[in-house]
Amino acid sequence: MESVTHLPGLSAVMIWTLLKVLIVFSAVMGIASLWTWVERRGSAMLQDRIGPNRALLFGRWQLLGLPQLVADGIKFFFKEDQVPPHVTKSLYWLAPVLAFVPALIGFAVIPFGRDFTYKGVPYHLSILEPGNSMGMLFPLAIGAVAVYGILVAAWSSNNKWAILGGMRASAQMVSYEISLGLAVLAIFMKVGGYDPSEIIKDQMASGWFIWRQPLGFLVFFTCMFAESNRLPFDFAEGEAEIVGFHNEYGSMKFALIALSEYGHIITASALIATLYFGGWAVPFMPEAPVLLTILFFLIKLLFFLWVFVWVRWTLPRFRYDQLMFLGWKVLLPISMANLIFNAWLMSRGH
Amino acid sequence: MFLVFALITIIGALAMFRQKNVIVAGLCMVLTFFGVAGLFLMLSNPVAAALQIIVYSGAIMVLVLFTIMLLNSHEEEPAIQARPIQRWVGASLIAVFGAFAFYIVMGSKALADIDKASRPIAGMNLVRVGEEIFRHYLLGFEIIGLLLLSAMVGAVALTKKEL
Repeated sequence: MESVTHLPGLSAVMIWTLLKVLIVFSAVMGIASLWTWVERRGSAMLQDRIGPNRALLFGRWQLLGLPQLVADGIKFFFKEDQVPPHVTKSLYWLAPVLAFVPALIGFAVIPFGRDFTYKGVPYHLSILEPGNSMGMLFPLAIGAVAVYGILVAAWSSNNKWAILGGMRASAQMVSYEISLGLAVLAIFMKVGGYDPSEIIKDQMASGWFIWRQPLGFLVFFTCMFAESNRLPFDFAEGEAEIVGFHNEYGSMKFALIALSEYGHIITASALIATLYFGGWAVPFMPEAPVLLTILFFLIKLLFFLWVFVWVRWTLPRFRYDQLMFLGWKVLLPISMANLIFNAWLMSRGH
Repeated sequence: MFLVFALITIIGALAMFRQKNVIVAGLCMVLTFFGVAGLFLMLSNPVAAALQIIVYSGAIMVLVLFTIMLLNSHEEEPAIQARPIQRWVGASLIAVFGAFAFYIVMGSKALADIDKASRPIAGMNLVRVGEEIFRHYLLGFEIIGLLLLSAMVGAVALTKKEL
C-alpha cells in the first residue's frame, strides 16, 4: 500500500474506493449469474423435477448443473444478434443499458460490513461513504429510474405485446412506489436519520425493525416483489402468456435485461436485510470482527435472494386488477396507518 | 463538471423541442431532469437531486409516458391553423422570465456572500429540509398541500361520471 500511494494522482482513499467498486461489482454480477442457476435448480427442486444436468464441464463433471452457466454465457455471446426491422433502432439499443445500469448502481449506498480503522484512518464498507446526505434516498431514486429500461424496451420494440407489458410494468411500479416510500418513511422517523449506517446502528441499539415495525416490513417486502417485477407480480414479463417487454430481444441484449432483473432482486434483498434485519449486525455480538459482519450480511442477503426464488415457484400470478387493488386499497392504507401509528407513539413520549 | 451537467440539461431540452416523436421527446425531458439533478448535486444539495429524480423522472414522467402510450398518438399533430402570435408571445415570455430569474439570482444574498466564503457551505440534508419547511415555510407548505388535495378531488370529480 505504501509504495502504491506514491504514484502521482493516486491516494489511498481513491484506491480504496476503486477496490470497493470492484468488489461490489464483481460480487453483484457473480451472485446474479449464480442465481440464474439457483433459480433453475430451485424451481426443479420445488416442482419435483431434476433441473439442468446436461451441460458437462470438459465433458465429464456435472457439478449439479453448474456448467449450464458457462454454456448459457457462450450461447448468448455467439448467438446471432438480430435486430428486427420494425424497431426504433437507437432506443432498441439503448434499452438494455437503461435496464442494466440502475440494477447495478442501486447497491452503492448499502454498507456490507462494519466500519474499521487501519493506521488511524477510518474505512467504511460501502461505496458511497456515510454522511453523503443522499442515504436511503439513493436506492429509492435508482428504483424509480429502473422503470425506464422496461418502458424504452417495450416501446422501441414496436410490438403490441411488448407495449402491453411495458404499460403494465410502469403502472405497477409507480403504484407500489408510494407504499414503499411510506413504509421506509416510518423507519426514517424512528431512527431520526436516513443514512443506512445510522439505520443499522439504531437497530443494533434497540432491536431489528422486523420486530419494531412488522406491518412496515410486510408492506416493504411485498413492494419489493412488485418493484423487481418478480412473481407473483411479473406483469412486465407475463411469461405464461407471451406478453413481455423483451419479446424482441435476443442474444447478449436479452442477457443484459435478464441479468438486470437479478441485479434488482440482489438490491432488493440487500435493502430488506439492511432496513429490517440489521444489515451487517451480528446478533448478540455488538463488537463482532469485520469479516464476521460481512459474512452475516452475505448470509442475510442470500437468504432473501432464496426467498425471491422460493416465492416465484410457489405462488401463482395475480390478476391485473387484483394487483391494483392490493397496491392502492390494501398496501397504501396499511403503510399510512403504520406511519401515523408510529408518529402517534413517538409523539406520546414528548 | 458544471459545464457537463449544464450541457446535458440544455441539449436534452433542445432535443425535446426538435423531436417530433412524443415518446422520444419525453425521454429527452428525462435527460434534462438528470442534468438538473447533477446541477443540484454540484450545489451540495443531494436531497434536491434525489427528490428531482424520484419525483420528476421516476413518477411524473413515467405517468406522462404511460398516458401517451395509452392514447397511442406517438406523432405530434400539425396545427390546424398557424398562429404566429403564439411564437411572439412565447419568446417574449421567455425573455421576461429569463430577465426576472437573472435579476433575482444577481440580487440574492448567497451570491453576495460567495466571495467571502471562507467557511465551507453546509450540505443540505433531509433534517434541514424538514426544519426549514416546518419552521419558516409552514403556511406555504399547508397551502400547497390543500391545493394538491383539491386538484386530486377535482380530477376524480371530472373523470367519475356518477359520484
